[in-house]
Amino acid sequence: MNNENNNASLTIAPTTGKIIHFFSKRFIYFAFSLTIMIIGLITLATEGVQLDIQFKGGAMLKYTYTGDISADDADNVASEILGRPVSSNITEDMRTGDKRLVLNIAGNYGVDAKDQVKFDDALKAKFPDNKLELSESSMVEPFFGHKFLTNGVIAIVLSFSLVLVYVWIRFKKIGGLSAGFMAIVALVHDVLVVFFTCVVFRIPIGDSFVAVALSIIGYSVNDTIVIYDRIRENHDLHPKLEVDTLTDLSISQSITRSLNTNFAVFLSVTLVYVMAHINSIDSIQSFALPMAIGSVSGCYSTICIAGPLWVMWQKHKAKKAEVRR
Amino acid sequence: MKNKKPVFFIVLLVAVAMAYLAAFGLQIGSFKIKGAPDIRFGIDIRGGVEAAFQAANLDRKPTPRELEAARSVIETRLDNKNILDRDVTIDKQNGYIIVRFPWKSDEKNFDPDNAIAELGETALLTFRDDDKNILVEGSHISNSAPELDKQTNQYVVSLTFDEKGTKLFADATAKLVGKNISIYMDDTLIQTAVVNESIPSGKAQISGHFTYDSAKALSDKINSGALPFSLITKNHNTISPTLGSGALDVMLEAGILAFAIICLLLMGYYRVPGVVACISLLIQTSGQILALSIPQMTLTLPGIAGVILSIGMGVDANVIVSERINEEIRSGKTVRSAISAGFKGAFSSVFDGNITVLIVGVILMIFGSGALLSFAYSLLTGIFFNFVAGVTASRLMIRSLSEYDALRKPSLYTCFSRRRTL
Repeated sequence: MNNENNNASLTIAPTTGKIIHFFSKRFIYFAFSLTIMIIGLITLATEGVQLDIQFKGGAMLKYTYTGDISADDADNVASEILGRPVSSNITEDMRTGDKRLVLNIAGNYGVDAKDQVKFDDALKAKFPDNKLELSESSMVEPFFGHKFLTNGVIAIVLSFSLVLVYVWIRFKKIGGLSAGFMAIVALVHDVLVVFFTCVVFRIPIGDSFVAVALSIIGYSVNDTIVIYDRIRENHDLHPKLEVDTLTDLSISQSITRSLNTNFAVFLSVTLVYVMAHINSIDSIQSFALPMAIGSVSGCYSTICIAGPLWVMWQKHKAKKAEVRR
Repeated sequence: MKNKKPVFFIVLLVAVAMAYLAAFGLQIGSFKIKGAPDIRFGIDIRGGVEAAFQAANLDRKPTPRELEAARSVIETRLDNKNILDRDVTIDKQNGYIIVRFPWKSDEKNFDPDNAIAELGETALLTFRDDDKNILVEGSHISNSAPELDKQTNQYVVSLTFDEKGTKLFADATAKLVGKNISIYMDDTLIQTAVVNESIPSGKAQISGHFTYDSAKALSDKINSGALPFSLITKNHNTISPTLGSGALDVMLEAGILAFAIICLLLMGYYRVPGVVACISLLIQTSGQILALSIPQMTLTLPGIAGVILSIGMGVDANVIVSERINEEIRSGKTVRSAISAGFKGAFSSVFDGNITVLIVGVILMIFGSGALLSFAYSLLTGIFFNFVAGVTASRLMIRSLSEYDALRKPSLYTCFSRRRTL
C-alpha cells in the first residue's frame, strides 16, 4: 500500500468493472463523423437545401372554395406538384364567415405566369369537387426579419463564448480553455448533423429547425459537461494517471448514465415521431426526426469526439512543453 | 437527530398537488390558478388571427425601408405583450404588413378588433408649445417605464431622453418658462404642464389617470418606437394551425406515453432512487406547465422543444444521482453514507451542466425575439425546476425513505444490470 504504483493500480479497479478504450479507436470515430459530414455536403451540393418560407419568403396564394378541404391534404398535394415546401392554412373571415385556403409557398413562385397556370390547373384537378378559385396572390418577405436573424446570430455567438469562458474557469484543473473549445466543437458537430439530417431527408429549414437546433445545443453542452466533470474528479483522485487513460476511465464510469439518459430522450422523441407518422402529421415528423438523430449525436459527439480531441490537445501540449525543456 | 420519515410524504403530497393544479387548474371564488386547459398555445398549434395592415392616409406607396421599420415595431410590441408566436411578414408590392398571431386562451373575451387596432397605433410622442410647434420628438427618448409617484400615489410614465433629446428639452424648457408645454400622442393631447424652470436633466414624466397597466402600455409603446405611418386593417380572418390539426394531441399522447415508459424503466432499473426520480420528474413537469399557464406565456413548438430539453436534463440529473449512489454502494458504503456521497458527487456535474445551459437561455432571452424567446423561457423555468426537483426534492425524498428499516437494503439502491454481480 505504501508503494505508489501499487496504489494507482488499486484505485482504478474498485468502482469500474473495466475501462473501455475509446481513445485508441479515435480515428475510427473521426472517420465516421467525417463520412457523415461529407455525405451531408455532397447531398447539399447536389440536391440543395429547402429553405422554408420563414427563411426565404415566398408566395401566399388564397383560394376560395366550397365544401370541406383539409389543410394537411392541400399542402401535401401542393408540395408534390411544386417540389417545394408548402404549408397551408384555412382562414375564415370573422364578419362574413367566408372560408379560404391559403397556400404558403417557399421560394420565388408566381414570377412566371405560365407556371402559375399549370399549378392552378393541377391543384383544381386534385380537388375537383371544391370549386377552387384563386382570389388573391402576393409575394412576401421572409417571416424571420433582419432583426430576428441578426439577433439570433449574436445570441448564439455570444452564448458560445460565454459557455467557453465558464468552462475555462470551472474546469481550470483540466485545462479549461481546451475543454471549453472541444465542447464547442462537439456542439457544432451536432448542429451540423441535425442540419444534414434535414438536407438528406429533404426537410424544409423553417421554424421547427430553429427549435431543434436550439435544443440540441443545450443537450450537447450538458452532455459534454457531465463527462468533463467526471474527468475533473478523477484528475484529483488519480493524479498520476495518463490523460488518455484518465479520459477512458471517466467515460467508462459514466457510460451507463450517458446511455440511459440518451435512451430516455431518444425514446420520447421517437414516440413522437412514430405517432406523428401514424397520424400523418408531416410538420411534427419533420421536427421529431432531426431531434431524435440530434440526441444520439449529442451523446456520441461527447464520448467519441470531444473526449478524444481534448486528450490529443493535452498530449500535444505536454509534448511541446517537453521539447522546450 | 430529527425524524425525517414524514418528509417523503410531504414531498409526495406537494408533487400530487402540483400535478393536479397543472392538469386541471383551480378556481376558488374569483381566485384562479390557470392550469394546462388554459395554456395559451401559439398559432402553430391552435391557430389564431391573420390581419393585413396597410398604411393609412398615405398618398404614395410605402418604401421597403418604412415597411421593414414598421414590422420591427410591431414585433417589439408583440414581444411586450408576450405574444411570442406570430408570423410577421411584408408584401412589398402591395405595401402590406401581414400579421398572424394566436388566440388568448379565454377566447370568449378576446376582442380581435381591439388587439389588432393596438398593434397598428403609431405612438408618435411629441412635446409641443402652445402654437403646436414640435419641440422634441419621442424618438429622442432612450427609455420609458411605468413608475409609482410616491407623493401623489399615482402611476406615471417616466421618460429619459437621449443626449440630443436632453439638449432639445433643456432649450425648449428654458424658452418656455412661465408658459405651457404639451405632450401629444399622435394628435391627441395627453397632458399640458406649466414650465416653472428649465429642465437640464433630460428626465420628465407624464402623469394622468394611469393605472399600472395603462402606464405600462404607454411606456411599452414609446419604447417600441413609433410606426412610420399609422396602419389600418381592412379585414382579418381566423386562421387554422400552421402545424396542421391534431399536432397537439399527437405530441400530448406521445408525451404521456413516454413519461409512463420512462418512469417504469427508472423504477425497474434504479429501484428506490428510480421511484424518487419519477416523483421528482412529476414535480418538474407540473412546475413547467404552471410556469407557462399562469403568466399566459404563449406555448409554441420551440417552447415545447425547450420543455423536452429540460425534462431530458431532469431525467439526466436523476440518472446521475442514481448511478452515483449505486457506485458508492458497490464500493462498500452503507446506504445512508452512499446516499450523501452520491448526491455530493453528482451535484457538481448537475450544477455545471445546468449553469452552462442557463447561460445559453439567458442570452437568448436578452437578444431573442419571438420563437427564440419562447424557447428561452421554457428552458429557464425548466432549469429552475431542475434544481428544485432534481436536486432538492430528490434528496429530501431519498434521505427520508432510507430512514425506514425496510428500505435500508443496499440491493434496493443498485442498478438492475449490476445487482447480480453484487
